[in-house]
Amino acid sequence: MMRPFLALMLNGFREARRNRVTVVVGAFAFGLLVASSLLTNLSVSTFDRVLTDVGIGVMSIVLVLLAVFLSSGMLSREIERKTLFLIVSKPISRALFLTARFAGNMLTLGALLLAMGVLFFGQIALYGTLITQAQFVAIGMLFFELMVLSSIGFAMSSFSSQMVSATVTIGAYFAGHLGGDIYELSSKAESPLLQWVGKATYYALPNLSRLNYRVQATYEIPTPVAELAPSMLYAVAYSAVMIIIAVILFSRRDFK
Amino acid sequence: MSAPETLAIETRDLSKTYRLGFWMNKRVLALQGLTLAIQPGQVYGLLGPNGAGKSTTIKILMNLVQATSGLARIFGHEPTAKEARRNVGFLPENPAPYEYLTGEEFVRLAGQLVGMSGHELDQRVKEVLGAVGMSRTAGLQIRRYSKGMVQRIGLAQAIVGRPKLLILDEPTSGLDPVGRREIRDLILQERERGTTVLFCTHIIPDVEALCNRVAVLVNGKLAREGSVQELLTTQVPVVELIIEGLGPDAVRGLGHPLEQVQDLTNRVLVRASDVHVQPLLKSVLGAGGRVAQLQPARFSLEDLFLQAMSEAKHGTVGGEITS
Ligand SMILES: Nc1ncnc2c1ncn2[C@@H]1O[C@H](COP(=O)(O)OP(=O)(O)O)[C@@H](O)[C@H]1O
Ligand SMILES: [Mg+2]
Repeated sequence: MMRPFLALMLNGFREARRNRVTVVVGAFAFGLLVASSLLTNLSVSTFDRVLTDVGIGVMSIVLVLLAVFLSSGMLSREIERKTLFLIVSKPISRALFLTARFAGNMLTLGALLLAMGVLFFGQIALYGTLITQAQFVAIGMLFFELMVLSSIGFAMSSFSSQMVSATVTIGAYFAGHLGGDIYELSSKAESPLLQWVGKATYYALPNLSRLNYRVQATYEIPTPVAELAPSMLYAVAYSAVMIIIAVILFSRRDFK
Repeated sequence: MSAPETLAIETRDLSKTYRLGFWMNKRVLALQGLTLAIQPGQVYGLLGPNGAGKSTTIKILMNLVQATSGLARIFGHEPTAKEARRNVGFLPENPAPYEYLTGEEFVRLAGQLVGMSGHELDQRVKEVLGAVGMSRTAGLQIRRYSKGMVQRIGLAQAIVGRPKLLILDEPTSGLDPVGRREIRDLILQERERGTTVLFCTHIIPDVEALCNRVAVLVNGKLAREGSVQELLTTQVPVVELIIEGLGPDAVRGLGHPLEQVQDLTNRVLVRASDVHVQPLLKSVLGAGGRVAQLQPARFSLEDLFLQAMSEAKHGTVGGEITS
């Protein structure tokens, strides 16, 4: 049970390392991180804040795009290219296949996040600016945001093409950061139906602003762990629901 | 026959209808009520033209598509249970292993997925790569492989777990004669080991060389089933005549039931079943023709195949399409 899971998960990581897109995007992000510090060094007086802001911002954008690209293509490409015929015909359940693929995806993103984090803190140390708890929180919570996005991409790609999955996931990303506004708008609506629709949308969409601690990092505001735990739990629960949906859709479908 | 053993493969009234079109209103009857029983140890050929429903049958067994109705069992398990695939090696039509892996990495992954590990896995991977003749090229990424090499890796990943049942979809298609020969030898080796094999193909010599039992599938229906010998000997004997002095139309005009009439410039080749030959000879001579040659036609699996096809409703290629 565990061995096939590990084998598939690690294979997913190997796939990403041999995938040109991941490698190029990774290298690009590293270049950007280094370049941003060099440029800001010359021009801005509030150097600490900008370094943190730009650094974590770059990590966030690059990894969000990569998460969308990887998760939306993973299942749909396997179905299209029929590579999964050779895998799901082994004595494993489709649920195991899917969760192992997801775990491999998160391993890839986690490894990249870790590498970028090391580079980021290396720079901070190099310039002798302050390393704060808030920076760790922002980077750590970014992982949970990536997990939520990947789970949406996964669920979509269990029944639709990569284009559709990627579009929906990007849509969910933007809507997820506006979730609070949707809630407020809907509570102001006159008709109870509109209120209900607005609230349903609010709960269906991932509340990504809840996982965004970049502002706190920029202004060096620490967040106690007790306050983070519910947000982490929320992210895990949301992803689990998405994966369960993916498993249900995926387990019943024909592969033609 | 002794006490009933669990069948390696059993299907009863198995049907699959694909729905197509924007409104899903077009239906392809890919498989219509297939009943098969494959005993352990048999090498079973599923023979049929393109579109007969061979791959559909195999995909249902491997849980890649779900049957519309009917029953399928592998060693007594439903295809949806992962136990059904426990001792099964599968080679799909046009296998597509992960291209970013080397041949060896892929076979190793396949071994891990059937639960092997450590030294046993190392040994076995080496062994099967040797058996399919890929020892030297196993370190190359699969994206660099030719079709034949992919097919060999496909076979290697199927046998790595020492399966009791091998399910092979067109294992020799797209291979050169040498490759075909080698794959055949491998299947024979598995047969020696007592592995049950179900393989589907439209290549008749492969069936003749490998199978002890065969089912002919046409238009999603079973057209013939039996041991290869049984099928060939239960056929009505057919006689082949070469006639001179009469054109093909004149021969047809004699009013006897003929299996085949073929113009051979100045001569006509006729095939007729044994019982009709004496009256036919009389008429030919009476009409001024001459019989240049007369011999029993050797009845092959190919004739059986063609006969089954022409008896089938449309005698064409592909499943039935309705809307
Ligand atoms: N995914 C599909 N959608 C619609 N029709 C299909 C699909 N797959 C197969 N068919 C149809 O089902 C019939 C049987 O196909 P198949 O089992 O692949 O035949 P074979 O393997 O004997 O060549 C064919 O008519 C084919 O066109
Ligand atoms: Mg086929």
